[in-house]
Amino acid sequence: MSILVVDDSFDSRLLVRALLKDQGYSDIILAESAAVALEILRSQPTDGHSKVDLILMDLVMPELDGIEACRMFKQDEALQDIPIIMVTASSEVENLERAFAAGAMDFITKPLKRVELLARVRSVLKLKSEMDQRKSREEELRSLTSLDGLTGIANRRCFDEFLEDAWHQALGNHQPLALIMLDIDFFKMYNDAYGHQAGDECLRKVAKTIQSIVNCPFELAARYGGEEFSVILASSDAQYAAQVGEKARIAVVGLNVPHCRSPILPVVTVSVGVASIVPSLQSTAQELIKAADDALYYAKQNGRNQIRIASEVKG
Amino acid sequence: MTVYRIQIDQELADLIPGFMENRNSDIIQLTAALQQEDYAKIMVVGHTLKGIGGGYGFPVITDLGAAIEQAAKDQDIDKAYELVAELKAYLQSVEIVYE
Repeated sequence: MSILVVDDSFDSRLLVRALLKDQGYSDIILAESAAVALEILRSQPTDGHSKVDLILMDLVMPELDGIEACRMFKQDEALQDIPIIMVTASSEVENLERAFAAGAMDFITKPLKRVELLARVRSVLKLKSEMDQRKSREEELRSLTSLDGLTGIANRRCFDEFLEDAWHQALGNHQPLALIMLDIDFFKMYNDAYGHQAGDECLRKVAKTIQSIVNCPFELAARYGGEEFSVILASSDAQYAAQVGEKARIAVVGLNVPHCRSPILPVVTVSVGVASIVPSLQSTAQELIKAADDALYYAKQNGRNQIRIASEVKG
Repeated sequence: MTVYRIQIDQELADLIPGFMENRNSDIIQLTAALQQEDYAKIMVVGHTLKGIGGGYGFPVITDLGAAIEQAAKDQDIDKAYELVAELKAYLQSVEIVYE
């Protein structure tokens, strides 16, 4: 844990360091300007341990002043989570407003009062550690919950659970279970042509479209991975699944998302593979996935933007 | 001559000699700036003094720094001369006791 002190005044830097060291904060880094501070921050390893946990920054400094620097740090993804306490001899309300608008977390006026400095440093560090904890918990939760962060539809984990449940249901009821796999055609070329942000947007649109054609609790549309989506249709046979799959394929073409690199159509398309199975004790859900995947592969091999049904593949 | 007795925290003892030395160089800078009527320079030094004085235990330096900054803003050269003289006298007469 370390604290970075940015102040153009030599005596101020030494004073802050002396007060903090006296309180047991041993790792204090001093910088005489915002530019030097930025250099120090950029050279920090990003793995956590020796990272700066708090920046105490003077507001009035020659060249890059504290407010500008604060704004700059807050726009930098790698630095924006480091809390900044502004320190200044000017107590004008306007400066206070500007500091907070720039993203400062707290504000201390000079001349420094030891009690105030230590209290504020302590509370901001506490907040920082709570924020870090919350962030790691949130990340954990996100991976545990069921929605895909990018597209907002069910994620792979949710898909696996739903399929397992549907499998057991179908096994018990001797009913068929169908699976549709859909894959965006030439998606890598799409990304190359339009960039990853457009690629993400394309994924979102396709996901939304696939989601819109399933609307009962026995069906689930999920992002299977990358540019591959899947739809689980409980108690459905291949014929019905083929109808749903074809509806999805046509709807994606209907989105009219331009794809200049696609050799088949000037818009984004999907290839679709369908499979169904009446589960038995000898079969597994993995076989169903494999069959749908094989059908999808066949649709790809056969020219894309089309649907293939597993039974046809098997012949 | 009035002698100001100032009590300073023991933990800052190491920093005080350097601090006083830097204030003397501030006086030199301020004197030069006054002669050139360099208000920007006077303002900057005044601002720094305002910022650090009290923190080291010298509220008088903070007050004089603030006044010097204001005098420079007002472009009041006479007032600035007066205040810098006051600061100089203060620095020469201050007596530090560590507690």
